[in-house]
Amino acid sequence: MERMIIFCMLFFCSSMVLTAAPPKAMKYKQLAKTIDHLKDVVKDKDVELLHTPENPEDGCLFTAMTCFQDGILKLQPKNSQVNVTFTKTVKILRRPILPDSGEHCESSCQSYERKKPQEFLNSFSKLMQKLFKNCGYTRAEGY
Amino acid sequence: MAVPGASLVPILLGLGISLAAAHSPAGVECIVFNEEYMTCTWGSGQTLTANYSLYYWYENRSPVVECQQYLWEHGVRIGCRFEQSEIIQFKPFHVHVNASQDGRTLEIPSNCMELQNLVKPGAPVNLTIRNMSSNQLQLTWSSPYPNAHCLEHVVKYKSNKDTSWMKQEVKGDIFSFPSVDYEKYYTFYVRSKINNYCGSTQLWSEWSVPVFWGSNATSKGMAEEQLQWFWIHTVLIPIASCLLLLVLVVLLVRMERVWVIIMPRIPNPSKNFDDLFITHNGDFQEWVGVPKDVVESFKSNYSESICHVSELPYEPLQDNSTHPPGLPGPQEHGPYKNSYVGA
Repeated sequence: MERMIIFCMLFFCSSMVLTAAPPKAMKYKQLAKTIDHLKDVVKDKDVELLHTPENPEDGCLFTAMTCFQDGILKLQPKNSQVNVTFTKTVKILRRPILPDSGEHCESSCQSYERKKPQEFLNSFSKLMQKLFKNCGYTRAEGY
Repeated sequence: MAVPGASLVPILLGLGISLAAAHSPAGVECIVFNEEYMTCTWGSGQTLTANYSLYYWYENRSPVVECQQYLWEHGVRIGCRFEQSEIIQFKPFHVHVNASQDGRTLEIPSNCMELQNLVKPGAPVNLTIRNMSSNQLQLTWSSPYPNAHCLEHVVKYKSNKDTSWMKQEVKGDIFSFPSVDYEKYYTFYVRSKINNYCGSTQLWSEWSVPVFWGSNATSKGMAEEQLQWFWIHTVLIPIASCLLLLVLVVLLVRMERVWVIIMPRIPNPSKNFDDLFITHNGDFQEWVGVPKDVVESFKSNYSESICHVSELPYEPLQDNSTHPPGLPGPQEHGPYKNSYVGA
């Protein structure tokens, strides 16, 4: 009886792990949606300009991602009513997205041109597009 | 006098610019077809006169390269074809097209593009319809585009009874049609586009080859066939039956054996009696040939008087007569009055 219970628990947990772990494509898709949400609530006028990586090379993806994630911190909500959404989206985008590939990138974050928040977020979306398109060769579940 | 002259200058300048613009092509249009190859075109054979050359480069990357494979129309270069190895996405792509003609340099405005936003996928193929339970149809298809997760689709459908097309956006490869009417005949088309997760484009693919579903009896084609059937029934069959009737009538008249069935010969023996009625005037005895003396012998040689007898109605007596009731009188007896008429 006990062995049966343990076996069922193990089976249940393993199936949970399989369904719970999203494929990378799903992650990038969710992040792209989150960035779109952030575009609606971010303040664009009279704010600090941010270093915006534009079309980073394949070896510089991690550096560019770190640059974007650091720049997110300097964004501000456009009014007090959207504060909750703003905070939630920023929190999601601050989580680690790419692993450190260890490759040396020639351009640092400061070398990129400074742009306004909307353009910054558009470039961030473009990076997500690149990641999603290139990684999703396996079947992505859950449309 | 100077003022009109001064106002003329900007007008002439504007005119000159517009003339120049009318002669030079609008710009270079590039499309990546299904991630297989790309074409960049700058005009058509009718409008271009000079032979243009295309040069391209990617930002911070390659040196400037001339097009390896030009597209020709009416002996003039109108575009360039790039193979898969020459296409790099998520990198600014610059194009520069120029030509020299009669000592002048003609230039088409230089563009900077990002090729992931110019992808046109191939049209969906292998459209299949499956009949699910409870009046539900499921339409599936496959796309020649390599990254299926990058596509969004639109299904266009209508039945033979509808006047306009219904459009439905679909994210995956399956479209469920909730309530199908088995009496109707449906047509489905599908086309695809790169979705927002892989690029920012408005380029839709071509519509797929259509797929059909439903009862053929009520489709337009079948209606025409039914009309044909109707004409056959109303024209062909009456004509055929009339012809048959005609043949039968002719047969009837010509062939006595057939005629006799309808009009049987009623024997008319009056011919045998022509003698009796015409020659002998109805005298049967004469015709038969009875000898004259036998005929004479039947005639009588005496005469008989005919005695007419009749009875008159009853008339009651007016007065009591003296005659005894039992004795009849000669003229007043009983109810009847006898009359006696001698011959």
